[in-house]
Amino acid sequence: MASRYSLAFAVLGAVLMAACQWFIYVYAPVEAVMGLVQKIFYVHLPLSWWGLISFFVIFVYSLAYLKTRNPAHDRVCTAAAEVGVLLATLALVTGSLWARHSWGVWWTWDPRLTTTLIMWFVYAGYLVLRGMDLPASRKGVVCAVVGVAAFIDVPLVFLSARLWRSVHPAVFAAKGGGLDPAMLTTVLLCVASFGFIWAALLLTRIGQLAQQERLEALLRIDD
Amino acid sequence: MVAASWHIAAKDLRLCLVRGGGLVQALLLGLLLLFVFSLSQQVGETMSAQGAAAIFWLSSAFCQVLVFNMLYSLEEVNASRLGLLLMPAPVQAVWLGKGLAGLVLLLLAQLIFLPASVVFLGQHIGAAWPQALLMLFLVDVGMAALGSLLGALSQGQAARESLLSIVLFPLLVPLLLAGIRVGSAAFAAAMPEGAASWMGIAAAFDALFCGAGIVLFSFIYAGDD
Repeated sequence: MASRYSLAFAVLGAVLMAACQWFIYVYAPVEAVMGLVQKIFYVHLPLSWWGLISFFVIFVYSLAYLKTRNPAHDRVCTAAAEVGVLLATLALVTGSLWARHSWGVWWTWDPRLTTTLIMWFVYAGYLVLRGMDLPASRKGVVCAVVGVAAFIDVPLVFLSARLWRSVHPAVFAAKGGGLDPAMLTTVLLCVASFGFIWAALLLTRIGQLAQQERLEALLRIDD
Repeated sequence: MVAASWHIAAKDLRLCLVRGGGLVQALLLGLLLLFVFSLSQQVGETMSAQGAAAIFWLSSAFCQVLVFNMLYSLEEVNASRLGLLLMPAPVQAVWLGKGLAGLVLLLLAQLIFLPASVVFLGQHIGAAWPQALLMLFLVDVGMAALGSLLGALSQGQAARESLLSIVLFPLLVPLLLAGIRVGSAAFAAAMPEGAASWMGIAAAFDALFCGAGIVLFSFIYAGDD
């Protein structure tokens, strides 16, 4: 069932992403100051959003695991952490490319970029924890606790990064709101297409983890 | 629960301070870090107040990792964790007791790190020291709350210090930023945004992770391995 859904999401995501290329390069206007490089935005924003949503999924399913001890919830956390770290990595790379072109540096103390980086560190550590040689139930509990602690830290990381930045104002003015309607449509389509791909990746990985657990259980029976 | 926590903290402090080995290791590591970073200056050059405060908190953070690993390994090496769990008190008393002991040990270590920062990094204490002292306490409370919660999870693991560091340090970022910013003001740097907002962040962190410690600790500290 899950694999059927993941296939459907993958197909939808692929079709929508192909359509997004037309929206990005033909429909959306070229930004006056940054030129073509601004097109990174259409990839960067969805990557960041879905990365953060992955971390929220870990938080929700960690709480669920602590309450129910259902291994299926633990598998969702594992899959979401892997997908989230992947998306956050790509968001950091695209953000860095953006910063280089727009501000002349590869890295800057922007609250959003910094929060993404700190979250990347937290969840990369979470994946290291996942790789530990521990009994499955103990590992699930330990990771669930870290998953909850990590997500409740997010607002404080963001606030402290923003406050810290206020003492280095030299560099960058805050981005103005109010996107061009064509740009807004394009970015929303991109968010949707990445959402389908995110769901396909997540479901595929959850399915793989379930299969792996089944195989390991069968091997234990054989022994 | 509070009485049981005091007993655990007193027991841990006696074990650590009488033997001394664990705290000496943490102190030496912190001092070594301060000394090594002092080499980044040319002769006669003075480090920026913010740089000095960052190094002070880095030393404290590494010290904290060693302190909490030491505190939790007291039971692990003697295979007496079950003894603590069978104590007629909520398991959160262990979290609170270890946190209190860790807080005391961290403050003791910082009694050494602070003058060492002044000496090695060429700083002097400015007029903002009272609020920096309050901030130091707030940051240490947060570090102890989170350290006590996560210190339990790495027990029994190979390379537990590095494991605890990679999980703990990113989560500590808001606290460390607050400590560095107000600490640099104590080392006579200007702080146009004022200390109140940073203290708010540190207090929020303390409240959040004290709550998380009380709720989540019982999941981590159990009889299984």
